[in-house]
Amino acid sequence: MSQVGARAAKENPVLKALSKFSKDFMSVLGIIFLGAILSLTTEKFLQWDNLKLILLQSSTVAICALGQAIILLTGNFDLSLGRNVAFTSCLGALLMKGMLYDGMAPMNPTLVILIILAAGTFIGVCNGLLTAYVGLPAFIATLGLQNVCYGLAKVITNATPIATFPNSIAWLGRGFAFPEILKKNLPWCVVLMLGIYIFAQFIFTKTKLGRNIYAVGGNKEAAFFAGINVKRYTFLAFVMAGFLAAFSGVVLMSRLNSVAITNGQSYEFDAVIGSIIGGISLTGGKGRLIGTMFGIIFVMLLFNGMTQWKVDAFMQDVLKGIVLVIAVTLDVLRNRKRV
Amino acid sequence: MMENEYILRLQGITKSFPGVKALDGVSFDVKRGTIHALVGENGAGKSTLIKILAGIYHADEGALHFNGRDNVAFRTPHESHQAGIGVVHQEIKLADPLTVAENMFVGNLVYTKLGLIDWKTMKKRARQIIRDLGIDIDVNAPVSALSVAKQQIVEICKAVNLEMKLLIMDEPSATLTERELEIMFGIVRKLRDEGITIIYISHRLDEIFELADMVTVLRDGKHIGTVPVSSVTRDRLIAMMVGRELGQQYPKEEIAIGETVLEAKGIVRRGVLKDISFSVKKGEIFGISGLVDSGRTELARAILGIDRLDSGEVFVRGKKVNYRGFRDAIHDGLGLIPEDRKKQGLVQIFDIKTNICMVNLKKVIRAGIVRKRLVNRYGTEYAKKLRVVMPSLETQVQFLSGGNQQKVVVAKWLMQDSEILILDEPTRGIDVGAKAEIYRLMTEMVKEGKTVIVISSEMPELLGMCDRIMVMHEGQKKGELTREEANQERIMALCV
Repeated sequence: MSQVGARAAKENPVLKALSKFSKDFMSVLGIIFLGAILSLTTEKFLQWDNLKLILLQSSTVAICALGQAIILLTGNFDLSLGRNVAFTSCLGALLMKGMLYDGMAPMNPTLVILIILAAGTFIGVCNGLLTAYVGLPAFIATLGLQNVCYGLAKVITNATPIATFPNSIAWLGRGFAFPEILKKNLPWCVVLMLGIYIFAQFIFTKTKLGRNIYAVGGNKEAAFFAGINVKRYTFLAFVMAGFLAAFSGVVLMSRLNSVAITNGQSYEFDAVIGSIIGGISLTGGKGRLIGTMFGIIFVMLLFNGMTQWKVDAFMQDVLKGIVLVIAVTLDVLRNRKRV
Repeated sequence: MMENEYILRLQGITKSFPGVKALDGVSFDVKRGTIHALVGENGAGKSTLIKILAGIYHADEGALHFNGRDNVAFRTPHESHQAGIGVVHQEIKLADPLTVAENMFVGNLVYTKLGLIDWKTMKKRARQIIRDLGIDIDVNAPVSALSVAKQQIVEICKAVNLEMKLLIMDEPSATLTERELEIMFGIVRKLRDEGITIIYISHRLDEIFELADMVTVLRDGKHIGTVPVSSVTRDRLIAMMVGRELGQQYPKEEIAIGETVLEAKGIVRRGVLKDISFSVKKGEIFGISGLVDSGRTELARAILGIDRLDSGEVFVRGKKVNYRGFRDAIHDGLGLIPEDRKKQGLVQIFDIKTNICMVNLKKVIRAGIVRKRLVNRYGTEYAKKLRVVMPSLETQVQFLSGGNQQKVVVAKWLMQDSEILILDEPTRGIDVGAKAEIYRLMTEMVKEGKTVIVISSEMPELLGMCDRIMVMHEGQKKGELTREEANQERIMALCV
């Protein structure tokens, strides 16, 4: 042990700072690097409209990804996030248009949003109870909820898409902040994404909740022996993720102005890729949440690039898988040198 | 070289780990065809020696002569097997779902001329071996269905199948009943009569006297003596195991002992703890001694509400308590420094100051926010109190030496300022300097009116620091000694 410590101290301080920076902000570097390549190899990439599109697409995934990142911090994993988005957004659509049952009147959109946020949170509560208190492996519990959500989404919508929602909610996904001053260049959903991440980053670095979640992920046993309520924090992570998934569903609903049972499909995996690229470790207790946002943007950038380069759409799925494996390998290598 | 008389000769075997010299110039001989016992306290070096013979560790210095071959070194367990050494470990190493026959031939399958696995021959041989030992076990039974005693016998059969010349048994009797023990003794004697040499490690001196021909005593990694069992008495053996000068300084000070602050009555946990009652007074340093599996840690966990009691009561400050989890105990002023500092005591990837502030987090929170300034302040204060040797507060604890890691764990609990602190093997495997710091701290704590309970296998430190020592054995309280009454022989006599 002491030899390793001595070695760490003898390292070149410049190299050490650079390595730390690159580990934390690998995603940012990746974005800059990839962006450079793309702008050189395509015509349309560097146009603001295109970049705005990337950010827009990132925002819904990123909000959901934050939830997954929090769960990853505790050393767990949630498979149900994508279908959570599907179910809650479908439910919201039906409520807003008064289509849930015969003779129903359209409900107040604000009320509907609150209801579906509660629904998503409830799904998170179920995941949390099963994993933290009943003791099921997170994989199994969330797999169960994943199927329940998807099934429910199909049941209530009869597997048909629903479109056109009240204009009152259009701002969430299609609106722009300060349209006169900024000339429609800053979409509200991007503002929401930034806001949520900055808030989360603050909570997780500065409050007891955040510190304890890191501790639970860092070493569950040690956290227990330090008097931290491991079950409670494991539970809360799932609850927060459920809420965030529903939130991203709301934004998605507004942006597309339609819902289908395919909403949010594979969000949970996109979230894992983004989180790992952004520096969150699969083993738990490590990584900055804000990195996840950059990780998602990086992935979206990559796929935008694929489209610009005219890569076949189906190939993109193959590439997604490859990116996931590379990202996890990097994570494993990153951790290996340490211990 | 007397090839036939000695199967194993050790000369100057030395093995060190970072900060600890596990074996120091150990030399002795083992005669062929004898039951040779190996005894010593926890940490005396027995396990390390066995692991070197089993090919798990490699000696730093010294020579090993085995079965007529000079200067052998086993680089892998496989080489050790090939040479003819079989080991029955303390923990059963069988594959649960496989049958007895399958386990016996693991890694050693017999094939037919066509290249297929020859179960018929293997089962026949398995039955033969079992029968020769005078036992009755179905070779087709899955080992998971067997009792621990029978599993151990299967382990022995596995070794016999390897046609080993030397069988090492590490604490084989720890989990057996009287009757099973007799059967096992029978097997061991039979093997001996067939010319196989057995090295038998056990804490139970009665067994040594009943079974062994020769006995070797290790202490602090050194060889103390190898003598025929018939030539020693039990007392002499104990004296050889523990006899050492209390050369270390223990900063013990006389302070006023107060009222009873913790009392346990009739603590029972089925299969683990049997009717334990004791009490501790304010300002005392109360020691709990006993061998590794005597139930000391389990007792601490039971009192702290980590494990549930089947029956019994715990009183803290005179009031009955019913802790439904460790957190309840912490809020009530108790604390625990766990046995395994790496896995239970610290989050290895976090830095020193974060680990120190982990229990008493609220001390560094103002208005809901963790204040960096306070974390730095308290981190520095408590790291200094313990004299932690570290590059900086921001160093991850995984880079610290074992002793310093333990200091961080202690610092963490010092910051929590528990009234009653239980320390489970606090100085295990750490250097002399760090040990001294921890002793100093124990004294300071009781001077401030706190109470300290120390679970330890190191008798000198118990004798040096404690006001009273309770000895446990197999889940029961065997006895209690005051500081005046206690000496190493008396404690060891109760331990075994």
